[in-house]
Amino acid sequence: MGTMLASPAFARTIAGLPWSPAQTSTPQSLVGQHFLTAAEKHCLDALTGRLIPSDEYGPGAPEAGVTTFIDRQLAGFFGRGDRWYMQAPFRDGIPGQGYQSEHAPAQLYRRALASLDAFCRATFGGRLYAELETEAQDELLRQMEAGDLSLEGVSAETFFGLLWENTIEGFFCDPLYGGNRDMVGWKLVGFPGARYDYRDVLDHNGAPVRLEPVGLMGGPQWRVD
Amino acid sequence: MRGFGITSVILAAATVAASPATLAQDTSFAQLERGRYGVITGNCQACHTARGEEPFAGARPMETPFGVIYTPNITFERETGLGQWTREDFWQAMHNGRSRDGSQLYPAFPYPHFTRMPREEVDAIYDYLSTLPQVKKEKPENDLPFPLNIRLAVKGWNMLFFDPGPFEPDPGKSEAWNRGAYLVHGPGHCAGCHSEKNLLGADKESGDLRGGRLEHWSAPNIRGGENGGLADWSHEDIVEFLQTGRNRHSAAFSSMAEVIAYSTQHMCEKDLQAIALYLKSLDDEPRDQPDAPDEAVMTAGQSIYADNCSACHTSDGSGVPRFFAPLAGSGKVRNPDATTVIRVILEGARSVPTNARPTPLSMPAFGWKLDDSQIAAVATYIRNSWDNASGAISAGDVEALRQQLAE
Repeated sequence: MGTMLASPAFARTIAGLPWSPAQTSTPQSLVGQHFLTAAEKHCLDALTGRLIPSDEYGPGAPEAGVTTFIDRQLAGFFGRGDRWYMQAPFRDGIPGQGYQSEHAPAQLYRRALASLDAFCRATFGGRLYAELETEAQDELLRQMEAGDLSLEGVSAETFFGLLWENTIEGFFCDPLYGGNRDMVGWKLVGFPGARYDYRDVLDHNGAPVRLEPVGLMGGPQWRVD
Repeated sequence: MRGFGITSVILAAATVAASPATLAQDTSFAQLERGRYGVITGNCQACHTARGEEPFAGARPMETPFGVIYTPNITFERETGLGQWTREDFWQAMHNGRSRDGSQLYPAFPYPHFTRMPREEVDAIYDYLSTLPQVKKEKPENDLPFPLNIRLAVKGWNMLFFDPGPFEPDPGKSEAWNRGAYLVHGPGHCAGCHSEKNLLGADKESGDLRGGRLEHWSAPNIRGGENGGLADWSHEDIVEFLQTGRNRHSAAFSSMAEVIAYSTQHMCEKDLQAIALYLKSLDDEPRDQPDAPDEAVMTAGQSIYADNCSACHTSDGSGVPRFFAPLAGSGKVRNPDATTVIRVILEGARSVPTNARPTPLSMPAFGWKLDDSQIAAVATYIRNSWDNASGAISAGDVEALRQQLAE
């Protein structure tokens, strides 16, 4: 997988840009890659399950595979912060300046999840975040978002911002990346997926266009039995 | 090659000075121009050039069902090219498939077609080749299994299949028709791809142009009369295709891309008209109607088509003529041999850039995202939708081709 460009030695002699058959830039689904421990996943399921809970509108973040999505992303270049400038000095910056933490995302998750569970154990009689009542869980999330919770060795506010962003991404990503299982996120909002041709429905006079969502790797409608 | 002028003439003069008088080239402008045009009609450059390397210096691997054959250097370099060949040597090769040392050439070299060319034409080609920049380049050893690695075996082949002799015009037909037939069956060697081969690699029924298979491509039927593969193409469609690489029905890629890039786009329109006239005169038998494919496969195929293909080829298969090839009515899609259709879905394809249409449009590969049964379903769908009725493709067909291409 990954980008494979034709090397000049194989470039066709016919004029024009080099082109070689069967060469494709394929998406990196990171299947089988893991970063999180079982305890971390347990905590993350509880956190994302409060951000997008299962309710009358459908399954929530844990059921949609958001933790799987985040786990794979943290194992890859995103988790390592490969594409970011990660050298000192580290200052808080202003909101428009983006990610300022000295910890790459994977390490930020590791520290924040550990500190959060440690905080909960100390504050709630030895219970982990995942073992708290939903009201207490929501209150902690509110404090993290507002910057009112202080966690050991990590900014709870920064972590919340990243967690919220990644939860949304995992809920609405293409299913090949591990989240949005069975396209529940897309079905919730009526997004028809990775389509790029609506010419047949241009004259629909404002009527809803109901198309089965489709991912990059297809959907149940592609199955040949 | 278009700008044949002073430089080439000087080069020609220099070559003559350096060569033994016995070679006896005629380097008049008219003669070289005739030879240059002959080289274009024969598409010599495509096969006698290794990818990205010096033109006409050979060493390009040709995959045949029997093994790999490398093309020789046809520049006039003395050691590795034709530098020591006489006109007579060259005529023997072109007309009888015999090499300078008397050995038989493999019929991957299309001498069974070039034999239709008259002596004067072959001499002109010889003269023209003698003026090309000389390149020293050894030909790699052929990779052929026994007994085919014995050139003597070709003698037997010749006795069975080779019918030497220049083209004989049909006096009952027009001059243009005869010119077209000569170009198609002589230098153009269209039957090399567009006719079925027998088990020994010879054209069946002396090149009937009903389609064939070569290097894991299936070339379509190009008979243009009633029931022929090009029945829906007009004369103008054929000329446009050969001249620009595209027309309202199709776009050229793979082997045909080379034919158009090096050969037909440089041919004069009168010759292309002649080819069109000839092809349009070839009727064919009506084709058997194959069984209708399985409904469930067609339904899955339709979904796969809608989500992957329709953005360019449109849901009714009409495409965007000259940009995205129409699939409805396409000779490549309807070909009973589906190799090309499956291969294009697996690997993608690029339309040939030509002088007239320099922008090459590419279709991406789908082999990484569709499995064998899905490719079979979508291929079955396009072969049996709209007015197409060409039979089903099985996942096994796709799997087999995938394996062959991986080798």
